[in-house]
Amino acid sequence: MPLLSARGVAMRYPNGTVALRGVDLDVPAGRVTALVGANGAGKSTLIRILSGAARPTGGSLEWLGQATAFRRPVDARRAGIATIHQHIPLVPTLSVAENILIDRGGIARTQAGDREAVAALLARLDARIDPDARVGDLGIGDRQAVAIAAALAVDAKLVIMDEPTASLAGHERAAVYRVIRQLADEGRAVLFISHFLDEIVRLSDWVAVLRDGGIVLDAETDALTEADIAGAMAGRQFVALARRERAGMGEPRLTVEGLATPALAEPVNLSVARGEIVGLAGLLGSGRSELLHAIFAADRHATGLVGVDGEPVGRSVEERIAAGIALVAEDRVGQGLVPAFDIRRNVALPVGGGWLVDDEAERAAAARAIETLAIKAQGPETAVAELSGGNAQKVTIARWLRPHTRVLLLDEPTAGIDIGARSEILRLIRGLADEGMAIVVASSDFAELLVLADRVLVLRDKRIIASRDAAGLDEDTLILLAGGSAPQGSAS
Amino acid sequence: MSDAIGWRRSFGLREAGVYYALALLMAVLALAAAANGLPPYFSTGNLTNIAYQASLVGIMGVAMTIVLITGAFDLSVASVAALAAAVLIGLSPVIGFPLALVAALATGAGIGLVNGAIVNLIGINAFIVTLGTLTAVRGLVMVLTDGRSLMVEDPTVLAQMLAFERTRVPAFWPLLLLGLAALAVGVGMMLRRRRQGRALRLGLMIGAAVMVIAALAAGPGFALPVTVAYLLVITAVAALVLSRTVVGRRFYATGGNAEAARLSGIDVTAYKIGAFVLSGLAAGFAGALFASRLGAMNPTALQGTELTVIAAAILGGTSLFGGAGSVVKTVVGALILFTLTNGFNILNLGASYQGLVEGTVVIVAAAIYTVGGRRGVAA
Repeated sequence: MPLLSARGVAMRYPNGTVALRGVDLDVPAGRVTALVGANGAGKSTLIRILSGAARPTGGSLEWLGQATAFRRPVDARRAGIATIHQHIPLVPTLSVAENILIDRGGIARTQAGDREAVAALLARLDARIDPDARVGDLGIGDRQAVAIAAALAVDAKLVIMDEPTASLAGHERAAVYRVIRQLADEGRAVLFISHFLDEIVRLSDWVAVLRDGGIVLDAETDALTEADIAGAMAGRQFVALARRERAGMGEPRLTVEGLATPALAEPVNLSVARGEIVGLAGLLGSGRSELLHAIFAADRHATGLVGVDGEPVGRSVEERIAAGIALVAEDRVGQGLVPAFDIRRNVALPVGGGWLVDDEAERAAAARAIETLAIKAQGPETAVAELSGGNAQKVTIARWLRPHTRVLLLDEPTAGIDIGARSEILRLIRGLADEGMAIVVASSDFAELLVLADRVLVLRDKRIIASRDAAGLDEDTLILLAGGSAPQGSAS
Repeated sequence: MSDAIGWRRSFGLREAGVYYALALLMAVLALAAAANGLPPYFSTGNLTNIAYQASLVGIMGVAMTIVLITGAFDLSVASVAALAAAVLIGLSPVIGFPLALVAALATGAGIGLVNGAIVNLIGINAFIVTLGTLTAVRGLVMVLTDGRSLMVEDPTVLAQMLAFERTRVPAFWPLLLLGLAALAVGVGMMLRRRRQGRALRLGLMIGAAVMVIAALAAGPGFALPVTVAYLLVITAVAALVLSRTVVGRRFYATGGNAEAARLSGIDVTAYKIGAFVLSGLAAGFAGALFASRLGAMNPTALQGTELTVIAAAILGGTSLFGGAGSVVKTVVGALILFTLTNGFNILNLGASYQGLVEGTVVIVAAAIYTVGGRRGVAA
């Protein structure tokens, strides 16, 4: 009897998006199950349902053979499911011991035996961490260990880990692998999500591949190769746009020489021609955003030469913008929009122009943007807080659609956006390139990159590991390059 | 979702509440005064007096609003004002009033620069930094004055000070003409915006109407204390810069989303430091006015005023999280606080209840803004 089994679990959001269309999944004790899937395949939704953070709109869950419905995360935790989210929710100002025992009852802040209990837990994980250390002072790998120890402290029968290694360095990953194996050997079930195919093959006993809200592959790992898994992940039902061969490129427009920053493992040299679209393929934490921020000088520690149309450009965001470089950042809410502003003022935000606000000109520009980008809004005065994700994203792009812009850097421009808006954005990017812009677009949606880009640079572990012509490339290969063991041999 | 709501919202509590509150408060006080057989509340003398009393807090409140818009906080304004007052009184007999005035303003701006630099370049929380300068600058005042009251003896300097602070400026024609012009602009804008269904600038309309009514009611001989004129000019300039210029836009963007502003090429640090400099400058100016009022100051002058200034900004609906605020509403907030004080005086209610009532008013206002704001987002 499996510890946890999902039968026909479906999730349909009120806005009509179907995230899961009937998932069947068994998680037996003593086994490491890897859950794999491309972005938007429904992984996070499934995790949210299993951990009690969301209730499915269809299907049922069985826990220890009994039908169960978790109403709140705490229900799942009491039942014995510990979830370690990608962004580990620890309290940085409390000690390791206090974090591990955070939901222990009782009155006294420290009780006799606490230290020993925590030390025993940490010893089981082979983690050399002082129980009295402040969590805020720990490295990210140690924090991961603390989160796992907290899961053990409540004696979880099932441990769910969402991309536990995405932000870890090699030796830290090895520690996590050891812990995962150990949990399984103790008879617990582990469900872990990863994009790294090599670690999936090495670590898991069973692989479940999720694609477009359904399980498309559910098999023992030993019977599979990395290529099998990549093949199952790829081949999505829709690709927003068909690939189109594009005319020859012009002169080099953006040139980057010896661009170095502490956020990247090695200096980057890059040249992007007029009308060329360069894709940056990489997983979370691969360094794709860091590269874009370095080119834009938003990373203050970035050094090296950046030139536009042969002219060297100074090392500040202002100078980069003045030279015609623009960045559409990954986090629309945190880095893109001013929530209190309407569309008009958000579009007019970048520096340049005169001293006085020209209402009519701005309104006309915003109205033009609304029309050309098909932004669904009442008008230029609509607050951006009222816009949906896709429309908000269009506003952050619209900001840079001025004749002045010559180089456009886009970081995950279609993340979290519905298919309709997605294809509009892709079409727009292609149109801008046709007009002569040099475009660098980072994305973890490889199918999309392959449709859009002329050339793809693959990033992994903060360095560019491959540069390929997009025309002869397929998604499987790209998945293997970015997350498999193909190119380097050893990734851990 | 629709902008028609935005249009209607301009009349809602969240957007226009502070104007309703002042009108309601004045109406209540006028009725109470009439019922108690006191002289009419709406007299030129009484209303001018309220504006005069509110002017120093209003001037500092305008700059405080800009600091709050950028997402920071300045607790040191009252201490800085006291230091500027001490500089003015101490230096006037030596280098003459005009130069001493410049020195006082420079002192204020300089401390603002120090505040801004420490907050933004070292990265210490503004609350802590300005709490420190609040105490340290007050200590500096004590050192400079040796703990004693300062006084101007020189009659020329005293005359210059009175001219700087006490003159009355003829206000009938300026108020009437400006008011009518603003009213015309406002009505035109209102018609256009109403047709387009966009949010209105209610402040402009109300301000214009008040100016015209005040001028007509007071008659052609009407003269304003020059301090009130300073307040009006400073508020008008700040309001225009904030609403009509790119610089103003960037202050809001800096507080609304600093990272988005930075990635749009805005020098966020410069704007944040600039707001502190403006705050110091305004405090210096207010301090100079305070010193000139009596030609004297004592070292504990204006103690605690920073809280009144912040209360005025909060009454005016300025967000403590940055990105939103209106200098006109802050000045109206200051008027509310001083109307309350004035009301307690004329109704002879005793000062004991004053703090209780003022504090409650501030909390109620904040509650209305918070709840109203939440509904606004939900709508």
